[in-house]
Amino acid sequence: MRIFTMAKNFMKHPIFAHHILLSAILLIVLLPTPAWAYIGPGAGFALAGSFLAIFGALLSALSMVLFWPIRRVVRMIFRRRPPGKIRFRRVVILGLDGFDHHLAEKFIEEGKLPNLAALRDQGDFKPLRTTLPPISPVAWATFQTGVNPGKHNIFDFLTPDERTYQAKLSSVTIRTVRRRIGWGPISIPFGTKPDVQLLRKSKPFWNILSRYGVFNCIIRVPITFPPERLRGVQLSAMCVPDLRGTQGTFSHYTTRILNDSKKTGGEVHHVQRKGNTVQCELIGPRHPSHPEYAPIKLPFTVTIMGSDQVKLKINGTTHILQQGLHSDWIQVRFRVGLSTTISGVCRFLLLKTDPEFELYVTPVNIDPEKPAMAIGYPAVYPVYLAKRQGPYATLGLAEDTWALSEEVLSDEHFARQCIDIEGERESMFFDGLEKVPQGLCVCVFDGTDRMQHMFWRYLDEEHPARPADVPDTYRQVIEELYQRMDHLVGRTMAKCNDDDTLLMIVSDHGFTSFRRGVDLNRWLEENGYLVVDDARRNEEHLAGIDWSRTRAFAIGLSGIFLNISDKFEQGIVDPGKEAQRLRDEIQQKLTDLVDPGHDTRAIKRVYQATKTYRGPYKNSAPDLIVGYESGYRVAWETAMGRTSKDIFHDNRKAWSGDHCVDPTVVPGVLFCNRKIETGQVRLFDIAPTVLDIFGIPAPDYMDGSAFEIGESNDSGDTGVCENEESVGIESQVI
Amino acid sequence: MTELVVWLNTVANACAEYALAPLAFLPGWLSATLVAIVTGILMLLIFKYTSNQVSIKQVRNGIRANLLALSLFQDNISVSLRCQARVLVGACRLFLLAVVPMLVMTVPMCLLLAQMALWYQARPLHVDEEAVLTAFFADNSNEIPEVQLEAASGGEVKIGPVRVPSKHMVCWSVWAQEDGCHRLSLRIGKQTFEKEFTVGEGFARVSLRRPAWNWFDVLLHPRETPFSQDSIVRAIEIDYPSRHGWASGSGFWLIYWFVVSMVVAFCVRPWFNVNI
Repeated sequence: MRIFTMAKNFMKHPIFAHHILLSAILLIVLLPTPAWAYIGPGAGFALAGSFLAIFGALLSALSMVLFWPIRRVVRMIFRRRPPGKIRFRRVVILGLDGFDHHLAEKFIEEGKLPNLAALRDQGDFKPLRTTLPPISPVAWATFQTGVNPGKHNIFDFLTPDERTYQAKLSSVTIRTVRRRIGWGPISIPFGTKPDVQLLRKSKPFWNILSRYGVFNCIIRVPITFPPERLRGVQLSAMCVPDLRGTQGTFSHYTTRILNDSKKTGGEVHHVQRKGNTVQCELIGPRHPSHPEYAPIKLPFTVTIMGSDQVKLKINGTTHILQQGLHSDWIQVRFRVGLSTTISGVCRFLLLKTDPEFELYVTPVNIDPEKPAMAIGYPAVYPVYLAKRQGPYATLGLAEDTWALSEEVLSDEHFARQCIDIEGERESMFFDGLEKVPQGLCVCVFDGTDRMQHMFWRYLDEEHPARPADVPDTYRQVIEELYQRMDHLVGRTMAKCNDDDTLLMIVSDHGFTSFRRGVDLNRWLEENGYLVVDDARRNEEHLAGIDWSRTRAFAIGLSGIFLNISDKFEQGIVDPGKEAQRLRDEIQQKLTDLVDPGHDTRAIKRVYQATKTYRGPYKNSAPDLIVGYESGYRVAWETAMGRTSKDIFHDNRKAWSGDHCVDPTVVPGVLFCNRKIETGQVRLFDIAPTVLDIFGIPAPDYMDGSAFEIGESNDSGDTGVCENEESVGIESQVI
Repeated sequence: MTELVVWLNTVANACAEYALAPLAFLPGWLSATLVAIVTGILMLLIFKYTSNQVSIKQVRNGIRANLLALSLFQDNISVSLRCQARVLVGACRLFLLAVVPMLVMTVPMCLLLAQMALWYQARPLHVDEEAVLTAFFADNSNEIPEVQLEAASGGEVKIGPVRVPSKHMVCWSVWAQEDGCHRLSLRIGKQTFEKEFTVGEGFARVSLRRPAWNWFDVLLHPRETPFSQDSIVRAIEIDYPSRHGWASGSGFWLIYWFVVSMVVAFCVRPWFNVNI
């Protein structure tokens, strides 16, 4: 009543009340939300925003309900119908990179992987024949295209440049091109933009599904960068660069005086401590308009607050770092103009403050909220994920194996990094499962590959890199990794527990020990196929090789190239009979190679690309692909383009497990929640199988064939084991 | 409550005496713009430090994510409707998160707007211009007492008193004669009731009304002390002419202030790293 009286008095007021009320009413009627600004712009915006969101959501919901039937009818009329019968509404493929068949079988028999055992019992579990060579880019390219490497053109991580012999990425080229604006014949250059080209040929099977209107959610499948158009969403993985354009360059800041500031995969920066303050600079990208300039640097200050805590000030924000704990993802902005910045994200890890200061910074990942280049399709999909779950690793090879190999990170730091990335991936995957009730959902977890690479020495008791005293927490680290994946599978099964979902757990290859490295270039040199300047032996990228006298050379992880005259600029080998004779000769000799230190055969089989691959790109492959025996792999020297003085080397690096061996040694896995009636299954059978499930015939160019999927053995119990206690990595390693 | 508002007005008047003094010398559009800019930034900072910035950021990101999801996953209506529901929940949470800063800012904002209204809501009378002065009497008095308006040095009573018993009020027409801030006195028996009377060109603080003992009335008219609760005269007001202008005119200054302060706050938000 009192309020009414006050209002009445107020209304009686001749000028003030009239105008204020009129203004307020106008604001409420015409601009309903800014009227809330009476309580201040900040809260005004917040309220305005929330009201807009409410109105927007209601309007959008209403329009969606109204228009949905129309859209549905339009789609039904115009969409391309699959000729066959659709067997499942949804196919979910969970990729576990490097999940080994032998280990999985062993752990299942020991009762350590209850969910995978349940999945096997419900459906099937088979070894999955992998590709030659069994390397992730090759295998995942085959998985997605359903063809052999001769048709998709990916044969290794690296391939030699035909002019310079320098190793380059085999799946993608990233260069900077001038941006132009103009009309007709007139065009004016302004600035630059990244030009990324995918070198993988053929088409992923989700492109074919898209043509038939099937929705796809493709998360972090290797060799999907740059992202391609599809019906659905996609987040790219392997080969997505960091902000510097590299495949991942970490930074290590230390007050220690070091002789060599360059480490593989990273850089060491010597810094000085003044009192409690250390000034550092984070190296960023090159200026987009002036790539010839030095990279842009972002200064940051670290203030030491105690023996295990520092204050990090970067980009005007302050963060507290605890020794031994990774920071959250921190957004960093590199200024390239008055109003332009390039945004990245990285994590900081304080290694120690005393007696020397040491700080590790991950490679600066492309910021998923403001991506400097397209890392997903549509372009807003990475943004959506970042808004939903916060910043995440976008780098192709996000787990920093080099930092552990170079002894900047400890096992514990690396394991934590892998587990954090796993968590990010799981969040994306489960969101995809929720958002895609019909269609295809594929997500690849690659932490399994990275952790096996780095921790195999704790599994293999004869490994040269195995420490004399293995810490208790790492004795079972691989087993715990498999158990963690088993629980991931359990959670996935719980979300796919319906008759209309086909679930497959797939790995691209298995794993084995990497005890001894074989320097193929040294072997070629000893056998007279390669000539190297003795003084330049240690130079990388094949720099010391005399090309005028070299007939064969090795680079990358599995291949030997002949220096063929019509392929390489300084080629000397005739492409015809001479080349074939040379292939036969090297194949024969190399197959007989015996490791004198252990008196065992190092190589199981050597394959000739022209006889092994089919397709238009088989001539781009290495001429010979070496299939090593278990325990052997190409030496680090060869992979980097150096030539050592010994053929065999003990591998004493943390990178102790590998899969660059003969494909028969490292089969992958295929678990399915339905019985697989076909006897032997191959990686390139998956693409035609998924197409078949959606009633679409596999194109003729595909090498694989659809395997027959039977019924489930399910008795109604999914068998999902919810017990988290057996996953010991969190409690034991970390 | 009224006592508290009177006390707040005393503080606000003292602060505004100096803080808003330049308004007397600046062009209206410039002073209105400057005040809007400064208050926009100040309110933004208050919002930053009185709100839960982390939660606001999370909720905003959640809303944006769900809005993006609406376009990314539009194939399935149940997924879309779920996203819509989450947007609604997020919007409600955002609304709740704005309540605390809103409460914190309401009082200073009301005080500030009341002070600004003194400058922009009306203009002083020019010399030789007339205005109506109205005295309101208590509703409980049976009849309006004998009342006499004594002209101040700067003004003269031209017409009146005109009594309107049904509305318990008496009116006069007052004629402005000299620039300055004068005082008009209303005499009822031995009691005297004063009202400020402003004559001049340009910008000056103009008190439209000497308020009754009512917290809302006092809040809106901060310049003069209110009449006591038992006073026979409840309020006195002068019908000053409107001020013209798109930025500082009577009908527009408030809208102009809203718009400019919000735009400024929105523009400077990234520099101050505020989630709103």
